[in-house]
Amino acid sequence: MDRETLRRLELLNQLKLTEDEKQDVLSFFELREGEHKCLEAIDTENTERMVHVLPVMTVVREDKVVKTFEREDLQRQAPETDEGYWCVPKVME
Amino acid sequence: MYTLKLETAAKARVVADDMILTKGVATAAGSKMLQGFESLFSSEALTRLENAGYGLCGKSRVGEFALDLMGETAFDGALVVDGVLKNGAAEVLSAKEADVALCLDVNGSCRRAAAQSGLISIKPTYGTVSRYGTVPVACSGETVSLMADSVEAVKKALAVVVGHDDKDGTSQSEALCDSVLKNDGTVKRVAVLKNMLVSIDADVKANIESAIEDLKKNGIEVEEIEGGNIAAAKVAWNILMCAEMCNNVSRYDGVKYGHRAQEFSNLDELYMNSRTEGFGSFLKTAIIFGSETLSTDNYMKVYDKALRTRRIIVDEFNKLFGEFDAVLMPAVSKSAYTVKDIENDKFMAFNENFYTAPASISGLPAVVSGGVQLVGKAFSENKLLTVAKLLAKEGK
Repeated sequence: MDRETLRRLELLNQLKLTEDEKQDVLSFFELREGEHKCLEAIDTENTERMVHVLPVMTVVREDKVVKTFEREDLQRQAPETDEGYWCVPKVME
Repeated sequence: MYTLKLETAAKARVVADDMILTKGVATAAGSKMLQGFESLFSSEALTRLENAGYGLCGKSRVGEFALDLMGETAFDGALVVDGVLKNGAAEVLSAKEADVALCLDVNGSCRRAAAQSGLISIKPTYGTVSRYGTVPVACSGETVSLMADSVEAVKKALAVVVGHDDKDGTSQSEALCDSVLKNDGTVKRVAVLKNMLVSIDADVKANIESAIEDLKKNGIEVEEIEGGNIAAAKVAWNILMCAEMCNNVSRYDGVKYGHRAQEFSNLDELYMNSRTEGFGSFLKTAIIFGSETLSTDNYMKVYDKALRTRRIIVDEFNKLFGEFDAVLMPAVSKSAYTVKDIENDKFMAFNENFYTAPASISGLPAVVSGGVQLVGKAFSENKLLTVAKLLAKEGK
């Protein structure tokens, strides 16, 4: 992990870290990278990945219209709304 | 202890930790990002408890997205008593203000709390309790769990919350969920994993020794064995947990709900400033780590490796369960975490989960009782509760 990669990851995750936070991240990576060596020692060449620990059934529901939530209820939590729309800054000049 | 205390006339009271959505009651997940957020619906597990007569008596404090050691990363500060970190739900139970706690076990904090507070907790088999209506963090391993001061109270609540739920895509079948409390509860042999007994203090060691003695007294054969690759669970779980968490928290952008920064001049700044202000330093570090494990350079070397290691760990556990009914290990390295511990190592949670990650990454059920942890085969909760009863210090 270097400063340039960290800058890229900050942008990717829409975060702006303070200098102290950057130092934290760098030391955190150092520790974790050391730990990853213990995984490298495990032979996984002929082992399949395991995404789900137990078999996952595809949940099949009847295709019917059900009442969910009212728009005004959903928008009650919004920082800013206008006539039923969520407001964001102008994206086109 | 609480983020919000509520009045209830119900005879059985449940406290939900702040990762459990509660209709009309604020759920912040310990994060400034969700401060004041009120869900339009309650979690399925809580709804089932309420339908069975339990009354919600409050929401208890958690660390930011329940990723930390013991609530130390909560946006409004840790719960500290005499320099010792405390878990909100465990404190409510210890004060006899609730009969059971409903928690989301993401990185083992509820199990650590139970071990250090002399309580009983159960993390059921993954998929047997619906995760519908919980704040998503590390979906492939997080489990809705229960904590109480007696095995009976845990068992009674467990019988209510287990069951298939169409609203949760990872929910197990009704038949498998039903088997959780119907399967044979006889326990004949328990394994103690020697390589999981490292770095534990004298109190935790004494709990392990006392548990072994209690098991033997009750005619259960105990054998110390090497744990093989199970000890690698921590490293693999840290990778998977952070990767999943970084994807899950990408939804918080300050647009539809959650914290929105006051200062921004365009949409990118709105996103960036809202997330920068809304998330704490601990979480930001974990987000950066998680996203890096998923990068093109690291995906195969790190993330894919962790997924393959998960299968090796699950296979090793399954091999053990061919010979043993449960595996005994600590849930914590020490009997209490102090503020000083966190000052010395703010990321201690990523080391301390050495003891809790094996059950988290493998989806296996785990019980904490008498200050120690027992991990069992999938759907073997009845066996674990049998042992929990033998080890519980209730009335002793």
